Amino acid sequence: MSKKIVYELEDISKSYPGVKVFEHLNLDVEEGEIHCLCGENGAGKSTLIKILSGAHAPNSGTIRFEGKRLTNLNPRQAMEMGVQTIYQEHNLFMDLSVTENMFCGNEIVKGSVIDRREMKRQAKAVLQILHSDIDPDETVSSLASGAQKMVEIARGLIQNAKVLILDEPTASFSKKEIEHLLACLKDLAAKGMSIVYISHHLEEVFEIADRITVIRDGQKICTKPKVEFTEQGLISEMVGRDVSMFYNRERTVIGEILFEAKDITGNGVKKCSITARAGEIVGIYGMVGSGRTEFAEVLFGEKKKEKGEIFIKGSKVQIKSPKDAIHRKMCFITEDRQGTGLFLNHALDKNIPIAKYTLQTGALALPAQDTKLALEYISSLGIVTPGVEQNVVNLSGGNQQKVVLAKWFATKGDIFIFDEPTRGVDIGAKEEIYKLMVKLLKAKKTIIMISSDMLELIAMSDRALVMRKGNLVATVEKEELREEVLLQYSIGGNEING
Amino acid sequence: MDKKSKMKKILHHENTPMLLVLFGIVVVIVILEGTIVRGGTFSQVAFIKGSNIANVLVQISVTGIMAIGMTMVMISGGMDLSCGQMVSFAGCLLAHLVVKTEWATVPAVIAVIVVCVLFQMAMGIIISRTKLEPFIVSLGFMSIYQGLSYLITQGREITMGDQLGFIKNMKISFGENRFYLGMSVMLLIALTIIMWLILKYSKYGRWVYAVGGNESAAYLAGIPVKKFKVALYGFNGLFISIATLTLLARVGAGSPPMGSGKEIDVIAAVVVGGTALAGGKGNMWGTFIGVLLLGSISNALNILGVSPYYQYIMKGLLILVSIYIGYIGGKKKTAR
Repeated sequence: MSKKIVYELEDISKSYPGVKVFEHLNLDVEEGEIHCLCGENGAGKSTLIKILSGAHAPNSGTIRFEGKRLTNLNPRQAMEMGVQTIYQEHNLFMDLSVTENMFCGNEIVKGSVIDRREMKRQAKAVLQILHSDIDPDETVSSLASGAQKMVEIARGLIQNAKVLILDEPTASFSKKEIEHLLACLKDLAAKGMSIVYISHHLEEVFEIADRITVIRDGQKICTKPKVEFTEQGLISEMVGRDVSMFYNRERTVIGEILFEAKDITGNGVKKCSITARAGEIVGIYGMVGSGRTEFAEVLFGEKKKEKGEIFIKGSKVQIKSPKDAIHRKMCFITEDRQGTGLFLNHALDKNIPIAKYTLQTGALALPAQDTKLALEYISSLGIVTPGVEQNVVNLSGGNQQKVVLAKWFATKGDIFIFDEPTRGVDIGAKEEIYKLMVKLLKAKKTIIMISSDMLELIAMSDRALVMRKGNLVATVEKEELREEVLLQYSIGGNEING
Repeated sequence: MDKKSKMKKILHHENTPMLLVLFGIVVVIVILEGTIVRGGTFSQVAFIKGSNIANVLVQISVTGIMAIGMTMVMISGGMDLSCGQMVSFAGCLLAHLVVKTEWATVPAVIAVIVVCVLFQMAMGIIISRTKLEPFIVSLGFMSIYQGLSYLITQGREITMGDQLGFIKNMKISFGENRFYLGMSVMLLIALTIIMWLILKYSKYGRWVYAVGGNESAAYLAGIPVKKFKVALYGFNGLFISIATLTLLARVGAGSPPMGSGKEIDVIAAVVVGGTALAGGKGNMWGTFIGVLLLGSISNALNILGVSPYYQYIMKGLLILVSIYIGYIGGKKKTAR
C-alpha cells in the first residue's frame, strides 16, 4: 500500500554561524498526500521550507526528487522540477494584473511578441481549477488578501507543479476564504499533487492533513497519519509538555467600573458600547472586517469619533488623540506589532521608554535611565535578548510582543486594549503573555481583548462582545461562552435582537 | 576587563568609521602635500597650519549650521531641498531691507529669521497634513524661493555696508600660529553641541528618532507627530536663517545665486555623517564630521593645486564611499 515518494530529505543537517537549526533530519513527501508540518515558532519549519524550495543549501545530507539525487539545488531548478513554494508573505507585483503575475518570468511568446490572449486563457483555466472567480485582468493590489494568495497558488500551478509548499497561507484569511483554500488543496491532492502545508492553526491541520510531521528544536519528533493524533496530543508533542492547564486561566476579583464607552460611532463603527471593570477581561469577537480593530482605534483616539461618550472611573473624558488616551491611563497593544507597535531598527532601550515620555512633563531624557528601565522589564517580563542595545528587529515574535508590553507597562496604565495579543507568537510565549495579563488583572487593571483565536477568547474573557459589520450584536456572559455561540452571533445566520 | 569593553564600545560607535576616514584623509593630504608640493619639507605643510584650519572652519560654517537643521529633519524621515534657495531668498531679503528700505539692522535680522521660520513651518504643515513626499514639496518651495530672490533683487546684487560687521569682526585669536575662531565657527560649534544635547538627552530628541523610525508607532505612543514635524521644519528655518546671516556677513552682498547648490552640500554632509535617508538613524557629531570631511577635501585640492573641477568628482566619490561604509555597518548590525 505504500505510495510513491516524490520528495525526500535524508539525514539533513543545517546550521548558520553560531546556530544549529537541524541535525540528522529525515522527511519524505508522498505522491498525492497533504503533509502538514507542525512546530512552535523557531522550531525550524521555515528553514526546512527554504531547504525544500532550494533557497538554502543544507550543510550535509541528501535531497532526492523522484528518486534522483540532487546536488546544489537552487530555487530556479526546484521550480523547474515542479516544486512550487508559496511563502508566508505575499510575493506578488502589486501593480501588475493577475495574468501578468502568473506568467511573470515565463511569458508565453508567439514569435517575439507576448501572447496575451493565450496567457489569459490559461490563467482563467487555472483559476477555474481553483474554483476562483478572480478576473485575470484585475490588478493584484485591488484584490483582497485571500484572493492574492489564490493568485500565488495559481502561479505555482501554472508552472508544472508536483509538490506545492504553503507556509502559513491563511494568516489574514476570513473563515470562508480558509474553507475555500482547504477545499481546493484537497482537490489538488486528490488529483495526485503533493502538498506540504504549514500552519499554526491546528483546526486547519486536522481538517486537511493526511500525515503530520512534528518538529521541535530542530529535530523531527515524529511523522504519523493524522488519525493517530488528537489535538491535545499534537500540542504536547509540539511543546513537549502537558498543556491541559494551558487554557485554564486564574480567576480574579472583579471590582468597580474603570472604563465605559457609550454609543460610539465613527471609523465604520456604529453605536457600540462597552463597559470594563477592574480585574476583568472583556473579549471582543468578530470576523475580520467586523469593526473590532476599528472600534479600538476610536476608543484610543487614533481615529476620529463622530458620536458617543467615554467615561473613565465615572467621569466623562475627551479623548481626541492617543496622547489624550495615554494621559487617561489607557494602553493599546495593536495587532500589527511590527507596523504600529515597534521601532524595529531601534534598540530595546529606545523602544521601551517611548510611551512613558509622553507622560513626562520635563524634557530631560537620560540614556542611562532608559537602559535601567529596559533592563527592569527585560528581567520582569523575561525578554530573551543579547542586550539592551539590540535592535528589536532581531528578536523573535514573542519577545517583540513582550517589548510592546513593556512599552505600555512603563506608562503605568490601568486600561489595556489588547488587539490579537498572541498573533504570530509561539505557544510557550503565548502562555507567558496570558500570565502577564492575569497579573494586570490582579493589580486591579482592566483589559479589553480583541481576538480571532476563539479558544483564547473563551479561555481568557470574563465576558465577550460580538461585533458584526460595525455593530455590536451580542454580549455573551462567561457561562454561555462557547465556540458555537460566538460563531452564530458573528456570522449571523439568523438575525439577533439588539 | 572594563577597559576592554570601553574600547569595544568606542570601536563600535556609529561615528568611528567616518572619523577614521577623516583622519586617514588628513594623513594622506599631509603626505601628498609634503612630498609633492613642499618637496619633503613637512614643516612647511600648509594644510595643518593654524591659519588654514581656521580658514577651512570658516568655509564650512554655513554648510555646517544648515546641516544641523537638516540632520533633525532627515532623522525624522523628512527632507528639505529648498534650504539652499532659502539662503538666497533670506540673504536677498535682508540686504534689500537694510540697503533699499533702510531698516535698522536688528529689526531686519529679526524679520528675516521670522520669515524663514514661518515659511519652513508652512512647508511642515503641508508635509505633515498631506501624504505628499517631502522631497517633492520642498522641491516646489525651492523654486518659489528662487523666484522670490530674483523678484526682490531684480536679478542684481545688493551690496551691503558694514551692517553685519559685528558677525564678521568678532573672533577669538590664539597666539602666534594665527589660528582663530570666527563668530560663524563659534556659532557652528555651539549649535552643534546644543542640538547634540537635545537629540541625545531630551524627550524631544527621542521623538525625532521615533517619528523617523516608525511614524504610526510614534503616533500611537502619544507623540503629536504632525505638530512635532511642523516644529522641526520651523527649527530648520531658524538654522537656515542663522547660516544666511553668517554667509551674508562674509560676502557682504545679497544675490540670487548666493545659496544655490548649498542643499546638495548639506544633504551630502548629513548622509556622509551617517544619517539614513529613510529616517530613524543619525546623529549630530556624525554630521559635523561629514561637514569637516567635505570641507577639507575642497581645501586640500586647492592646496595641492588640483583643478577645482575635480572637486565635484572627489565629493561624489566620497559620498559613495561613505554610504557604502554605512551600508556595511548596517549589514553587520543586523547579522549580529
